[in-house]
Amino acid sequence: MSQLAIDPNSAVYTTDEYGRPFIILREQGRKTRAHGLEAIKSHILAAKTVANIVRTSLGPRGLDKILISPDGEITVTNDGATILGQMEVEHQIAKLLVQLSKSQDDEIGDGTTGVVVLAGALLEQSEALLDRGIHPIRIADGFDRACAVAVKHLDQICETIQFSSDDTENLLKTAKTSLGSKIVSKEHTQFAQIAVDAVLQVADLERRDVPFDLIKVDGKVGGSLAETKLIRGVLLDKDMSHPQMPRSVKDARLVILTCPFEPPRPKTKHKLDITSVEEFNKLREYEKEKFADMIKRVKDTGANLVICQWGFDDEANHLLMQNELPAVRWVGGPEIELIAIATQGRIVPRFEDLTKEKLGKAGIVREISFGTTRDKMLVIEDCANTRAVTIFVRGSNKMIVDEGKRALHDAICAVRNLVVDNRVVYGGGSAEISSSIAVSNAADEIPSIEQYAMRAFASALDAIPLALAENSGLSPIETLTEVRSRQVTEKNSKLGIDCNGRGENDMKKQFVYDPLISKRQQYLLATQLVRAVLKIDDVITSGQSEE
Amino acid sequence: MQRGLPMQPTVVLLKEGTDTSQGRGQLLSNISACLAIAETLSSTLGPRGMDKLIVNERGDAQITNDGATILKLLDIVHPAARTLVDIARAQDAEVGDGTTSVVLLAAQFLKEVRSFIEDGVSPHIIMKGFRKASQLALDQIQELQITVDKSDPEQFHSLLLKCASTSMSSKLIHSEKPFFSKMVVEAIECLDQDDLDESLIGVKKIAGGGLQDSLLVKGVAFKKTFTYAGAEQQPKHFADPLILCLNVELELKAEKDNAEVRVDAVSEYQAIVDAEWEIIYRKLEAIEKTGAKVVLSKLPIGDLATQWFADRDIFCAGRVAAGDLRRVIQAAGGSIQSTCSDIKKEHLGTCGLFDERQIGGERYNIFEKCPKAKTCTLILRGGAEQFIEEVERSLHDALMVVKRAVRNGEVVAGGGAIEMELSARIRKHALSIPGKLQLIIAAFAKSLEVIPRQICDNAGLDSTDILNKLRMKHASGDKWAGVDVDGASGVRDNMEAFVWEPSLVKINAISSATEAACLILSVDETVRNPQSEQANPGPKAPPGTAQRALRGRGRGMGRR
Repeated sequence: MSQLAIDPNSAVYTTDEYGRPFIILREQGRKTRAHGLEAIKSHILAAKTVANIVRTSLGPRGLDKILISPDGEITVTNDGATILGQMEVEHQIAKLLVQLSKSQDDEIGDGTTGVVVLAGALLEQSEALLDRGIHPIRIADGFDRACAVAVKHLDQICETIQFSSDDTENLLKTAKTSLGSKIVSKEHTQFAQIAVDAVLQVADLERRDVPFDLIKVDGKVGGSLAETKLIRGVLLDKDMSHPQMPRSVKDARLVILTCPFEPPRPKTKHKLDITSVEEFNKLREYEKEKFADMIKRVKDTGANLVICQWGFDDEANHLLMQNELPAVRWVGGPEIELIAIATQGRIVPRFEDLTKEKLGKAGIVREISFGTTRDKMLVIEDCANTRAVTIFVRGSNKMIVDEGKRALHDAICAVRNLVVDNRVVYGGGSAEISSSIAVSNAADEIPSIEQYAMRAFASALDAIPLALAENSGLSPIETLTEVRSRQVTEKNSKLGIDCNGRGENDMKKQFVYDPLISKRQQYLLATQLVRAVLKIDDVITSGQSEE
Repeated sequence: MQRGLPMQPTVVLLKEGTDTSQGRGQLLSNISACLAIAETLSSTLGPRGMDKLIVNERGDAQITNDGATILKLLDIVHPAARTLVDIARAQDAEVGDGTTSVVLLAAQFLKEVRSFIEDGVSPHIIMKGFRKASQLALDQIQELQITVDKSDPEQFHSLLLKCASTSMSSKLIHSEKPFFSKMVVEAIECLDQDDLDESLIGVKKIAGGGLQDSLLVKGVAFKKTFTYAGAEQQPKHFADPLILCLNVELELKAEKDNAEVRVDAVSEYQAIVDAEWEIIYRKLEAIEKTGAKVVLSKLPIGDLATQWFADRDIFCAGRVAAGDLRRVIQAAGGSIQSTCSDIKKEHLGTCGLFDERQIGGERYNIFEKCPKAKTCTLILRGGAEQFIEEVERSLHDALMVVKRAVRNGEVVAGGGAIEMELSARIRKHALSIPGKLQLIIAAFAKSLEVIPRQICDNAGLDSTDILNKLRMKHASGDKWAGVDVDGASGVRDNMEAFVWEPSLVKINAISSATEAACLILSVDETVRNPQSEQANPGPKAPPGTAQRALRGRGRGMGRR
């Protein structure tokens, strides 16, 4: 009567001695469960699908994707992290891949496509190994060993590049590599220059620290990409509060206020009963007096520009105008802070605290307008502290501007990484090919099952140059095998895929650099993810709750 | 029922809809429920154990290998199976590790005696046998365990490292074992050795970076709190600052919500405004006078105060989480002040180095070289949130194991070695007992073998073969022979291979598994009242939902 045979799938449905099913889990009818090898296989499939989506965006000849958000907004990009981030994937394993690229984005800011392609390739390879009956964890162990070999190899083939604030040649080249695959590649010399200048402006080369908060990237539709420029100061999407105020202020001394330009009010709930005409007049007098007092206090400090976090009414506006005090209202908190840092002024919370020392200084503050539109922006330049910069991206439409911003972000990150760690490996898949050779050599020395996994890792590394060649319209396998054999015979780890068709495979001569930390991070993250995916043998999904 | 009487009317004893099952059938059915649960868990055991991905109703995924966590997430409602969940939790709370083993053991005990139950052996005899066998096992552990020599700190340290790495071997961080076990042991060594309050080990998770980028801060670290404009102008680096911890809101705001000021004359208007400013300025000045350079508050610090501090080169952070603030106090000394007046020197803390640092995409405030550093913070990095959470769980297990080892210092060999040895000894002892108990105790001995067997199965080794090898080794007196998942032969001396576990983990696992098995065996009837029709006395649901809920429930009942 009793059956002891409990097959793994029956943990959800269990029957007792009399064949009556009984409930073990809450609402188990709605739970689904995948188990064992079947679960791993389905995960691999999901991950492969995701990797295939971004695969075509890899490299300088990679193509872009259009993403349409639920409310119809269009994004055109070939940035791996952006594509995956906007796809809103549902599958749990696919979500892991999305997080993987995001994590690469957060940490390094570049190489987000590469890491996903690598992880996808590793999983694809492990599928074949699973079919041979190798335990998933043995595969993961093998990958770990292979990854350690590859990372060590990267350390060996990396080269230190020299740069200083005067000699930016090498930084420029790195920025160009990163920009090469983006929509802005037509203007990539200019963009690279902007990225390098921006980073060097804010970087602390001694401490190898690049505070990103000080680089602001702003964009406006109109003009062309070529008009993108670096502003050594702060750019505000605001204009002077009164149309008759001067358009530019030289040698500006700024008052940075975080209180409204109006008579102060108690925060406590209050009530003022006005019972007579005199009292009303008194109140009006008081307010007027306050206004005059405020203007006077500002004037006394010698300021000639007022930046205010809050608004002020027409009366104040008029008074400011009359007293020749240009003013900007409704400036957001982060911008206030940026202005304060740039101009080395102090943020003043009330008029009583205003002193001369608290003013910020800027060489010139001017309003710029664009084309025929009446949009105006305020540029604060020649600030006391030169370490705050703004990059102002122009482009013919919003998608281009947004993509331009993303491209710049990647380039800035790439330059930043070099400032932090100036070791580079060569791009164009050369580092991958070289590591792949190293890993497969190391594999031969290992006696256990992991040998197979290490070979698989080596083949997975080839996925990157393969995708590069494929996207560049070359015959992938032919190109790869040729470069691979040349790497071995010439013992030159700098040979990669010639994506731009310049007839030169030496990436050092093509100046295609990647920061070492970025490559390392890619390998480590991808291996880590693959381990997590391979380790899952059971997926229990609750049904959607009825609501 | 008496003979000769006409059919008696049915006596309605219980409310309609009450579900009763009883007798042997019920007992067997309970056992199969427990086995089903154990079956789900079994693949997570051991260094080659797999993970589970569990998705809840809201679509959040969790990847874990921790027995207690899986059982919690499964949301088990079967009353007997719930017992297993409870013992896993108890094991988690008590020793923090070995949660999977305890469930497997309990289920295996039940499985072994199932045939006895079917043959009509009274559950009480079985329970008696189990209790006896368990006592025997515990005595044997006491006898077998090896006390670690704490007198040599260096050796003790390396022992702790080994314990930590054994507990990590089945987890995701397996490949980084040396790195993390060092971290865990250092974290424990930071704590007060008499107290070992692990709540003083803060764990912060930052997505991004590799696992290797995780770090241990011997002090306190927390994420930069939300700041107002002006915070960037504050200094971010201090050596030997005085630290003031407050529970005061430093913001310009209405002092009392329900107060209302009646302004009689316009001239008073300004006075009231000034008075309000005066209140906050007085607070700020009092703080400045204490000489504190770092001001932390549980409550918000407004933009006014932020800028005021910035002007005076003081660092401030508002809305610091209570736990973080408590750890700052523990590390830096001082106490949390709920007023700004009358703050004396002794109320302030200090630390060697205060710094704001960029870690991944976040900025962190870090207090290091604290004079009373009885606290530390683990900053975990990883590619995805699920990784980091799993790392946190794994580290928790390791921390608990190390903590236990520091406190008790007695270890046994892991990898199934201790179970095999116990099994051998108990079986030998069983032969000396006459009667049914002999069978029961032998069954108990056999059940213990489930641990090495499952480790073999999960690692893809031939369990029957290896188990026979192990039995042979143990019979010939090789008392620490256990499973070796890496080597070719599959068997090795785990004491020499440093696969160690604190004996307390095993003691607790065996005794609670026995308790749970006995509990399930002693139940022979389940009475389940129909679920009350009353919607739960929470917030009133809109009409319609109640009906829907009832319908859902009706369906659930129908299945039984």
